[in-house]
Amino acid sequence: MDYIEVYDLVKTFKEKGKEIVAVDGISFKVKKGEMFGLLGPNGAGKSTTINILTGLLEKDSGTVKILGFEPEKNWEFVKNNSNVATAYSWLSDVLTVRQNLRVYAKIYGVKEPEKRVNELLDMFELGKVADRKVIRLSSGENTRVVLCKGLINNPKVLFLDECTVGLDPDIADKTRNLIKNYQKENDTAILFTSHYMYEVEQLCDRIAFMSNGKIVKVDTSANLKRLIKKRTVEIAVKKDARLLREFLEAEGINVIFAEDNSLVFEVTTEQDRMYKVMNKIFHKGFMLSNLHIKGPTLDDIFIKMSRQK
Amino acid sequence: MKFYRINALLLKYYYITINRIDRIFDIFYWPVVDLFIWGFAAFYIQQLSDVNVLSMLLGGIILWIFVWRSSQDIAVFVLEDFWSRNLYHLFSTPVKLSEHMVSIVLIGFLRSLATFVFMALFGVLLYSFNILSISPLLLAASVFLLSLFGWVMGLFTTSFIFRYGQRIQVLAWSVVFLMQPFVCVFYPLSALPGWAAKIAVLLPPTHVFEALRAGISGNPVNYIYLGYSFLANMVLLILVVLFLNSSFKKSKMTGLLAKGG
Repeated sequence: MDYIEVYDLVKTFKEKGKEIVAVDGISFKVKKGEMFGLLGPNGAGKSTTINILTGLLEKDSGTVKILGFEPEKNWEFVKNNSNVATAYSWLSDVLTVRQNLRVYAKIYGVKEPEKRVNELLDMFELGKVADRKVIRLSSGENTRVVLCKGLINNPKVLFLDECTVGLDPDIADKTRNLIKNYQKENDTAILFTSHYMYEVEQLCDRIAFMSNGKIVKVDTSANLKRLIKKRTVEIAVKKDARLLREFLEAEGINVIFAEDNSLVFEVTTEQDRMYKVMNKIFHKGFMLSNLHIKGPTLDDIFIKMSRQK
Repeated sequence: MKFYRINALLLKYYYITINRIDRIFDIFYWPVVDLFIWGFAAFYIQQLSDVNVLSMLLGGIILWIFVWRSSQDIAVFVLEDFWSRNLYHLFSTPVKLSEHMVSIVLIGFLRSLATFVFMALFGVLLYSFNILSISPLLLAASVFLLSLFGWVMGLFTTSFIFRYGQRIQVLAWSVVFLMQPFVCVFYPLSALPGWAAKIAVLLPPTHVFEALRAGISGNPVNYIYLGYSFLANMVLLILVVLFLNSSFKKSKMTGLLAKGG
């Protein structure tokens, strides 16, 4: 079952008399139990999309369905069964962590609010700061408090907008595991945006790449990486590095780094070009002391897509 | 509207009140300062006049609290959510604008009552003026009508905040004081110059303060004017609720709500 459905969604803003298209007719679906990543450069329309789906922003046109219902017609049901966590908005900074979570638990009508609040505080290791005012928290603690709020009602649909910003690597790793475990246990549909590519790769089942308000590509991270046909080869030879460089340049290969006996070059995988080049290197008798072939990363995809018009 | 959500929001505003010393302070501090200034001034004027100036001024200043507190609390509690960029989270929950406003109106009313009790006690202790000596019906009607006008003013300011964001936050503190000279808190309607009286007579609180002065000086209270005050308040309330809804919708169109101000 599709928990999130978006069809031909359009949102424009007016700024100084000019019309800016923030979301330009995008469509996608997120299934029950799926984590779906929205990737794209700043201003691509990711947060605008999430704001529309959470009811904070009115769309110009298009259809949105959450859990099979159009939010405008079934606001209460949709909002009671969904939640959002974003790094861009705090909870009330005058209240303590516990007070904030208690208020949200009551807003959602959670049956045993204190129990749920304590569970989440334990889960996100926030027990020590539970009675501290939000304004006195570090940004990493704040991020985790917002995540606690995002899970307070055991949502079936969760929107996570750059929700791991400011976490140190250890806590970020724990948080990612918590999100993943929560999703598996509850079959939650998660719409996830992040600037950390490894995070998106680790968590998301599918990724939509957004640029200029449009979805350019939707696929799994493995399939997206196949779009990049280049490999980066790091090679070190015992001697004759200069000859190797001359050979590669004669083959029309772009050497991007050369120092002492080490070279780094990029080579396409199209028409078995990489295998042919490597074969020639071996046959020429160059004595390799190190060889490392790097496949593309989501960062490469991000850069490639961001630069495409 | 769901009561448990209003209850949750009341809890939130209660926490804000007890967690911030200035939010406790403003229940007592300025009202007491007003009570000293106007009380002493009235005490002096009382010696020059036969009219019961002291009771009229103190009655006015004590009941003015319901306009001031109600209006300011609504706007400031909404601003509080803007300042902490918390509206994003609040309105991504099932909370409706009506529930948000009702909770703020209720907490504002409770805070007004706290100030009222405190000032009433101070009135007795400092000037032997007992506000409860006014007829209970007149007192209850005055509290209700003045609170109603305060809510209208507060919701009016809030509409502007939702429409234009924090840049117009100065309205939260100033709008109600713009009204004060025209609603005859400290002087009778007859004391105003002609052009000002034409404005004053249209404003609902004017008739409440007129009735209060009549009650204190033992003259008959004109309940028809109080009826007008109620009707005018209701018309204003309906208009301001429409304006608020339209502003809230606009904030969802422009993205102000999502950006949190």
